Amino acid sequence: MSLLRLVDLSTDIALRRGAVHALDHVNLEVRQGETLGVVGESGSGKTMTVLSVMGLLPAGGRVVNGQILFDGRDLLAMAPEELRRVRGVEMGMVFQDPLTSLNPTMRIGAQVSEPLRVHQGVSKAEARDRAVEILRRVGMPRPDKVVDDYPHQLSGGMRQRAVIAMALIRSPRLLIADEPTTALDVTTQRQILELIDDLRDEFKMAVILVTHDLGVIASRADRVAVMYAGRVVETATTEELFRAPRHRYTEALMHALPEAAQGREGKLYSIPGLPPDLSQPLTGCRFAPRCRNATDACRATDVPLVRAAEDHLYACLHPVTEAVAFAPRGAGEARPSRASDTILSVRELVKEYDAGGKSRVSAVSGVSFEVRTGETLGIVGESGCGKSTVGRLVAGLEEPTGGQIVLDGTDIGALDRRARRRMHREVQLMFQDSYAAMNPRMRIDGILTEPLEIQQVGDPAARRSRVTRLLDQVGLPTRALERYPHEFSGGQLQRIGLARSLALEPRLIVADEPVSALDVSIQAQVLNLMRDLQAELGLSYVFISHDLSVVDYMADRIAVMYLGKLVEIGPASQVVRAARHPYTQALIDAVPSPDPGHAPSPATAIRGELPSAIDPPTGCRFRTRCPLAQDICTTEPPLAGGPHQVACHFPLRPEATATATATAAP
Amino acid sequence: MARYLLTRLGQALVIVILVTLITFVILHFLPGGAARAILGKEATLEQIAAFNHDMGYDRPLWEQYALYLQRLVRGDLGYSFQLNQSVAEAITQRLPKTMVLSLASTALAVVVAIPLGVVQAVRRNRWPDYTINALSLLAYATPIFFLGLMMIILFSQVWPLLPPEAPQGFTLGEVLADPAGLVLPTVTLAVLTVAVYSRYVRSSMVDNLNENYVRTARSKGLSEGRVIVGHTLRNGLFPVITLLGMYLPALFSGALVVERLFNYPGMGLLFWQSALKRDYPILLGVTLLISVATVLGALVADVLYAAVDPRVRLKGSRS
Repeated sequence: MSLLRLVDLSTDIALRRGAVHALDHVNLEVRQGETLGVVGESGSGKTMTVLSVMGLLPAGGRVVNGQILFDGRDLLAMAPEELRRVRGVEMGMVFQDPLTSLNPTMRIGAQVSEPLRVHQGVSKAEARDRAVEILRRVGMPRPDKVVDDYPHQLSGGMRQRAVIAMALIRSPRLLIADEPTTALDVTTQRQILELIDDLRDEFKMAVILVTHDLGVIASRADRVAVMYAGRVVETATTEELFRAPRHRYTEALMHALPEAAQGREGKLYSIPGLPPDLSQPLTGCRFAPRCRNATDACRATDVPLVRAAEDHLYACLHPVTEAVAFAPRGAGEARPSRASDTILSVRELVKEYDAGGKSRVSAVSGVSFEVRTGETLGIVGESGCGKSTVGRLVAGLEEPTGGQIVLDGTDIGALDRRARRRMHREVQLMFQDSYAAMNPRMRIDGILTEPLEIQQVGDPAARRSRVTRLLDQVGLPTRALERYPHEFSGGQLQRIGLARSLALEPRLIVADEPVSALDVSIQAQVLNLMRDLQAELGLSYVFISHDLSVVDYMADRIAVMYLGKLVEIGPASQVVRAARHPYTQALIDAVPSPDPGHAPSPATAIRGELPSAIDPPTGCRFRTRCPLAQDICTTEPPLAGGPHQVACHFPLRPEATATATATAAP
Repeated sequence: MARYLLTRLGQALVIVILVTLITFVILHFLPGGAARAILGKEATLEQIAAFNHDMGYDRPLWEQYALYLQRLVRGDLGYSFQLNQSVAEAITQRLPKTMVLSLASTALAVVVAIPLGVVQAVRRNRWPDYTINALSLLAYATPIFFLGLMMIILFSQVWPLLPPEAPQGFTLGEVLADPAGLVLPTVTLAVLTVAVYSRYVRSSMVDNLNENYVRTARSKGLSEGRVIVGHTLRNGLFPVITLLGMYLPALFSGALVVERLFNYPGMGLLFWQSALKRDYPILLGVTLLISVATVLGALVADVLYAAVDPRVRLKGSRS
């Protein structure tokens, strides 16, 4: 029996002129006790679907067709009073951004228990008790204290727990989670997803899990709906979908994942082009313009959903016939080291910030590593681990508190200002949010020529031709030069950001989360481009990311940071497939795999919160959360080993499989 | 908290001293001079020189300033020969009356402006918003003396409901005994303030209504009223605190134009008359008072902010 059923649901968002047809005849159902995953890229309509159900559409949004049947009753036909009751009692929603989803000036307890106060007339004292109880249930540390805290006093993960508690306190029959973990670190993501799973079983809820992450879907959903351009293009049980996807878009999504890349030299499959403009009338299959199998028939006729199996529908004229293979963990071959001389050498780097009074934030503490010419060093770690600070120090945006940065044989700290400015040409930055990093009132040609002007490279004509060539290198047409940043999509902006960092012909690019804000298909385009340019120009990258699978795909070597310390560094294949530090292993296990057969091992899950970098734990900084910690861990472990080094008293494995390492050494 | 207040008060003191210095210098370079203003056109040069010598006006400027500061520390704001009373006395006579007028008009403005701004935000870009917007722009653009005159013509000439002149009582008690006379000046002053405040409330409420936490509140099935009053209003009213802090000096300085128009014997009128008569001790005293109020206003706003917004913590450092 389905708890929620959407019948031919269409939703429009009014524009100043016309409307965006955000949803077009969406049919979906969720049964009691099951998790339905809804997956798709931005603009696919997945969020609009759940907002339609909750009646929370943005200004101008309106359901124009269809029914939303909740327990047999059409929500669209309900009186506002009753609808509010259904929304506030029988449904609960968890939003994407826990940092902004809570009222900043209301205590956690009051917010969490508000549905009870409003819909059930519970007294203030009882509401508080119930809030403490549910906060404890969702794994909030010290619930009796947190209940009187304000949101800004909690970390992101704790705030998301509070939002979940708020949704659960009314014992809803349907829980809607819209990208509940996208803004969180992998280790926290794992805790939150497990929590939702447990609570679903305990409360017998139906769950709709909206996400762009196929890995999250694979490990958590019972059934999946794939959406594209406002339509459901495929639904199936999770196992079936990953075993035998039918729609070409589903297949393309899977192919674009870094996990699907066949070996290091294999290119990622990237979906060309952009999703269609939904304010225009569309005919035929909406994916056809980007599909490699499209024929004239796809473009001419509307493609209906057809049944492949009992519970498997798809809308494709040329369905996929074989499954997408994901490289299983442990299958990666050691990459031959192409490295020669050292371009960057960082020695005992320290960065501290004043935190008011006498306390100091220890952002980076004694980090040393090297990057060789033509090599990519990946830096991974949770937010707050200091990886971005290392990037900014290397790029010269900040002064280190201690230690050395040696670039191409020159100690930057020993240079005078002018010489240091010249050195900046050698290192350039690429940002996560390229739009925010560009002056919105400057045209692209201005943005790209500015670094050349500052460093007085060539005359105006030479700069002009250099800029044209740069655009060509990143695959954008010359007419982009006359446009402004807001006219470009996220992927295009990232290309422009890359072009700008290439303008001065640097030898090293520090890329800080360069693809974190992009959809999978666009992410693949940018990653391919970065690798092509590396091969062509002999660039070195310091590639900073929280996403292990992306780093695994891009990097030759990986450095893992925890709370300002380097805990492990080594060849990428070894760090990912034979991790030696318990923290690295926990990070790896927390990444949801797009392979439904791959179950994470519960033994390595880490609990709790990242400690404060003001007054960090003594000795090994990870010991407060480490399952293996012993007394000796209060003394600091040195970073030891051959090419695969680890800073741990009890490494998970010896530096084994040394054969691969030996061949990799020059 | 105590440490924060001490630091801020220390900064305030420096600012106030700088203000006195600047005012002192400017006033003494103005043409004419105090002697001419007091002794009249007929005074001989000898008489003026003698007066200046008696008053110490022939000494170097820095010496005069040092003397002024010395007296100030002892609580002596100076003496006005024209009013024939001490500056402190002149101010204490008028200050309460000005405060009554300012407080009444501010209270009225806040009470009217907040609901207006909220209605505008909730019904934004629809006719209630447009109507209120047009009216407040009109009010904002109208010169206050014109508005006051219209008030007098309409409500005491065309419809003789209210007196055209403010109460003339010498003490605060006498003024308060005649509340009808206070209505027109209070309303005139409030109109402009409403126009300013309602715009701030509107834009701040619009910003807050677009925040994610409002969506969370709606997802709990709350009524619109509860979403607005229970969740958005408190966050939306923060800018009003800053405005009120900025308004504190006006509480002391009084409303020059309105007091003149309705002939209300408050600080505004005092300042006006002293400026015409070049009564330097009064001008200096009033300026000092306003600068103290300005600095205190900013401090009060910051402290109030910390009281209502849990995210703001008052420390000497950034947080």
